[in-house]
Amino acid sequence: MNPLDSDFDCPQLSDAAAYVLGSLEDDEATRFREHLRSCAQCRAEVAELQPVVDELPLKVAREDAPDALRERILTTVRSEAAVLHAAGHEADEPPRRSSWRSWLGSPIGVAVGVAAAVVIALVLVIATGSGGEKVFRGHISASAIGASATLRQHDGRAELTVSRMPQPGLGRIYEVWLSRGPGNAQPTTALFSVTSKGDGETDVPSDLHGIREVMVTSEPAGGSLRPTRKPLIQIPLNS
Amino acid sequence: MARLRRESADTKDKLRKLADEELMELVAGNDADAFEVVLERHSDAAFSLAYRICGRRALAEDIAQEAFLSVWRSGARYDRARGSVRTWTLGIVHNRAVDTLRRSGTHERRLISDEGLAETLEAPERTEVQAVEKATSREIQGALSELPSEQRRVIELAYFGGFTHTEIASMLDTPVGTVKGRMRLGLRKLRDELKDWEAAGR
Repeated sequence: MNPLDSDFDCPQLSDAAAYVLGSLEDDEATRFREHLRSCAQCRAEVAELQPVVDELPLKVAREDAPDALRERILTTVRSEAAVLHAAGHEADEPPRRSSWRSWLGSPIGVAVGVAAAVVIALVLVIATGSGGEKVFRGHISASAIGASATLRQHDGRAELTVSRMPQPGLGRIYEVWLSRGPGNAQPTTALFSVTSKGDGETDVPSDLHGIREVMVTSEPAGGSLRPTRKPLIQIPLNS
Repeated sequence: MARLRRESADTKDKLRKLADEELMELVAGNDADAFEVVLERHSDAAFSLAYRICGRRALAEDIAQEAFLSVWRSGARYDRARGSVRTWTLGIVHNRAVDTLRRSGTHERRLISDEGLAETLEAPERTEVQAVEKATSREIQGALSELPSEQRRVIELAYFGGFTHTEIASMLDTPVGTVKGRMRLGLRKLRDELKDWEAAGR
């Protein structure tokens, strides 16, 4: 017999619909969940109605998600994947490179990050006696003509901003490299894409100590360990 | 270089042939390419749901972004026994969107929700046209609009408006028991439609 058609309804049965709709107050929902363990009739009702609620999201007018949204999500995901894979292969990976993964992107994470940055900044100010910002302009290659790139270094952090860059190409992403001298290019976890206008920005995970030049190349999505193309941007650091 | 590109395109083609559940196993192993295919498949539905709930495009983008990053970071927690990847993902979007609404305060929620409500109540033709043009599951959408308006209203306020049954009762000046009863009747009617629809083999 279908428990929904029973003549002897559990008094809590009327809560099931509100429960699957997420419409019970928090404490009621907690009590109802406990009740479900001991009441087969309510469990059956929830099992009947849950698939209906699962279909409700598909009843809304269909909007196309903006491409820029997908690009932003993928940029973060690819850089996190690169870090995780690097961390898996290299035992000497500094622990902080995986620790930012858990809080990246969440508002709390940003707050924690900002707080941490403030602490680091304070330490640096004490250590160096200066919190001043340095700005470096990039040289743009012929294939990205019209683009511009700016690297800002402050408080031991560096941030790269680009504008009017061409798209990195289908299935490709821009990767930031650090060079300690001619012929040297260390990969970074900084992978980024650009908006339809060619704007983009990324943190460069380095204090740039001992770095002579910051470069950007277009690489297959996921990034490369060695540059596979000529740099589109070269930013000499005359420190 | 050309070889690398071809390999990447081949990988993508292979991944696109996999079921969502298989992709999620790869996502649990931090496979960003597999995640990209999941994102391709469900980002429109996720964004649409977030937009329907919060009513603002920028906010909907933030909600969808957080939800997908959460799918990526907690992919290992996906359990296929508890439903499809789509249901799981849209469930995360729904929770985040409703949390955002609830944090934004009752007044604003009421405003957004009332606007949505006015639109569905005053312009059924337009809603119907949108349904025909845009919905992937037209028949089910039709079922919602065919519910008696007092049943549809409590379901919409609860699910898309993020209101609790006591809030809905006071907004509609209706006893709590009546609100719960309408939710139950409306959902059971939709359940019957869903069963007919499945039985029709579509």
